[in-house]
Amino acid sequence: MRRTSIALLSLFALALPALGQADFTRYVSLGDSLTAGYQSGGLAGSISRNSYPALISRQARPGAAFDQPLISDPGIPAVLELRSLVGPTILPKAGMGNLTNPIGTRPYNNLGVPGANVRDTVATVSGGLHDVVLQPFSPLLRGRTALQQAVQQNPTFVTIWIGNNDALGAATSGIVIDGVTLTPLARFETDLRAIASAIAATGAKMAFANIPDVTTIPFVTTVPNVVVNPATNLPVLINGQPVRLIGPRGQLAAGDRVLLTATTELRMGKGIPTALGGSGLPLSDSSVLDAGEIATISARVAGYNNVIATVANERGAALVDVNKVLRNAAVSGIPVGGATFTPAFLTGGIFSYDGVHPTSFGYAYIANVWIDAINAKFGTSIQPVNLRPFAFGGASTQAALGANSEALLGSSLLFTDEAKHSLFKGLNIPENLQSAPPGGGGGGGRRGGGHGHGHGGGQEQ
Amino acid sequence: MRRRGISLYGVAFGALALVAVAVPSYAAGFGVFEQGSKAMGMAGAFTAQADDPSLLFHNAGGLAFVTESDFAGGFTYIRGIKADFEGANPFPGSDYKAKQETLAEFIPHAYYVAPINQTWKFGLGVNAPFGLTTEWDANNFAGRYLSTKAALRTVDINPTIGWQVTPTFGIGLGAIARVSDVVLERRVPAVNPFTQTVVDVAGIKLESDPGTGFGWNVGILNKVNNSFSWGLSYRSKVKIDYEGDGRLTQVSTGNAQLDALLRTRLPFDRNLPIKTQIEFPDMASLGLAFALTPSLLLETDVNWTGWSTFDQTTIRFTGGDLPNSTIRSDWKDVMNYRAGLRWTRSASSELRFGFVFDETPQQEEAVSPLLPDADRNGYTIGYGWKGAKLKTDLALMYLDFKERTRAKTFEGESPFLGTYKTQAWLFGITLGF
Repeated sequence: MRRTSIALLSLFALALPALGQADFTRYVSLGDSLTAGYQSGGLAGSISRNSYPALISRQARPGAAFDQPLISDPGIPAVLELRSLVGPTILPKAGMGNLTNPIGTRPYNNLGVPGANVRDTVATVSGGLHDVVLQPFSPLLRGRTALQQAVQQNPTFVTIWIGNNDALGAATSGIVIDGVTLTPLARFETDLRAIASAIAATGAKMAFANIPDVTTIPFVTTVPNVVVNPATNLPVLINGQPVRLIGPRGQLAAGDRVLLTATTELRMGKGIPTALGGSGLPLSDSSVLDAGEIATISARVAGYNNVIATVANERGAALVDVNKVLRNAAVSGIPVGGATFTPAFLTGGIFSYDGVHPTSFGYAYIANVWIDAINAKFGTSIQPVNLRPFAFGGASTQAALGANSEALLGSSLLFTDEAKHSLFKGLNIPENLQSAPPGGGGGGGRRGGGHGHGHGGGQEQ
Repeated sequence: MRRRGISLYGVAFGALALVAVAVPSYAAGFGVFEQGSKAMGMAGAFTAQADDPSLLFHNAGGLAFVTESDFAGGFTYIRGIKADFEGANPFPGSDYKAKQETLAEFIPHAYYVAPINQTWKFGLGVNAPFGLTTEWDANNFAGRYLSTKAALRTVDINPTIGWQVTPTFGIGLGAIARVSDVVLERRVPAVNPFTQTVVDVAGIKLESDPGTGFGWNVGILNKVNNSFSWGLSYRSKVKIDYEGDGRLTQVSTGNAQLDALLRTRLPFDRNLPIKTQIEFPDMASLGLAFALTPSLLLETDVNWTGWSTFDQTTIRFTGGDLPNSTIRSDWKDVMNYRAGLRWTRSASSELRFGFVFDETPQQEEAVSPLLPDADRNGYTIGYGWKGAKLKTDLALMYLDFKERTRAKTFEGESPFLGTYKTQAWLFGITLGF
């Protein structure tokens, strides 16, 4: 009997993958929508079962359980779909999903909460998708933040990718208000340090990822800031020069970006001079991210990334440079097996229909960036995720729609208002903000009393 | 500045990336050293013997010693046993396996040598020292966007003059005219906006017209005495400019809208003029032959091939129809080592044995479905029979490639990781009159 157990034990030891100094026995992921596996404006289990934390877990401990909230199709909110290539129209699917696997007795391993920012991770216990991920319906878990639920699991390894919503809300809403859509750096640092400190106290190893630059996401880069001839999809030239659209403060400048959500206004002729067939009315403030706003957001993201790198270094954690990965992808794409994935909207394969969140391929690629960083830091030999199932899909699921090619030539994108409302609602991005008057500085109080219902409308991303 | 969104579909599909338009790359580098069955029986260790008409390939110095006119012709038949691929993560994945289409190629050779007088001799060789084929299932192979077929053919026409300087020392000098053509095929991918995954949208076939290039060769053979000879042979680089056409054929994505859109964006079913260039490497051999006994001869050769000429190949679409593409190879110069044993059983019959170790010029990052090369060992056995009018030489070679694993990728290029396992038989027959 004794000999048998020893034999079994040694067999078990042999079966364990060589994992160096990182132990994924109790792996917990903290983060936001990116960690949850949110895609195309919704959280749906059919997609999020391949969230990057789930993929990391599967590679590090094949066959081991990794619990995450799984929502039935079409997700919460319902995921967006591309209805047609004729005037490409993006709309939410009909209906709404529901949580299929409430546990109640213990937290999920994946504690990524769509919409959460750094403060939410340490302070918010309900509201929005916190009500799903943090299981406040369970008396055992009610009133516990994501961080508390992570600590409670006595984790052996924790990945932390938080802070996207501290900046992306400003980018997606087109409105930059310090303290409202953009988290002040000092507060970001305080909260991130609180997270790192609480996790370090459990003895768990950590890995952090940093924040991508807003100018690398199709939500910001897709719509040109010049008047486009809908028949040719090429810029209208006057005296050989393209004509910039009209923004809330007059004609746009070279560095100003028009957001994906502006497509409905453009279709109504807004932003386009009357001489070129438009209404002559300006695009609204929320449709434009001007060069100054971009500079403000980029500088703040750089600040966050400094903090993340410093904290990761202090804690002996791995650091995943997602910012660099996406900048590289914007320049040269991601080549895989002779195909090249790019950040281009719809046709690039890295970003989903909301222009912010990755596709399943994008998440799998990001999982491998995590795995590379973890292997490099901890001397582990976790195998990368097999990208083939994510890169190569089957045949199109969309039935033939009988389009003619003439109509396709004149195609113009429509990211519908329904899609926008759904995306913003799911991520608690404010829709009716006004830019602060110059020097106004924006009142930071909107999430001040955030305990308990941190999603009172002030959340970003 | 990227042309962001100016034409959402135009830009994305226009740049649809003929990401990796293939380059010819073949086995063994893509050299074929089996150019005469007598030499092949001794694994090509023949530079210091060069005593049948295939001397025109192996060492032109042997031409100096020709005393009567002689013709030899035959072929080498290459038959793949195994050309398997097992994938690795992240792409195409450790659950992935594929097999190449079975290789079966005839590579012909013909040689004529004759004395002009006691001192000067003439020879004309026709053979195919470079070429080969790789082919994968175009519909299902996970590397089909890299290559589904690569076929390179060459024919050398090699007139040579031999000069018998002394009774034991000869020099040969030849001119090489090389005619070659190339066919490369692969599938073209795009992201299907409806599935957000990659789908085949076209097949592309690049087909060159025959291109011609010129070079030269020189050889020295010194039969020092009855029991020792040495030889030195060199064949120059040959550069060939190819012109031809590419042709894109639409492959349905299964979505009529997308298919229609692609028809407006890609130049399907037209001849798209292309140009490219290949510089074939130079090669040198040094051979030493020792008569161990009156009936037993041992030769050892060292060959050097200047494969660093094969660094990158750019395929230019001269009509601007599609973006140019460059394949990076970065091959290196390599050596191979040959040993052959000749057992003269009687005046009319010889048995031969040989061994070759051939070093691949291909570094790990360049290993691809287009040409998965590897170090290899070759084992040969040969038989020669001399009749009153007809000489017959037969040779059989078993070529065992070392498993070749690629775990690395050139910066900015597509990972296609895994292990290739290749084995082949070569059979040679040469008849002499």
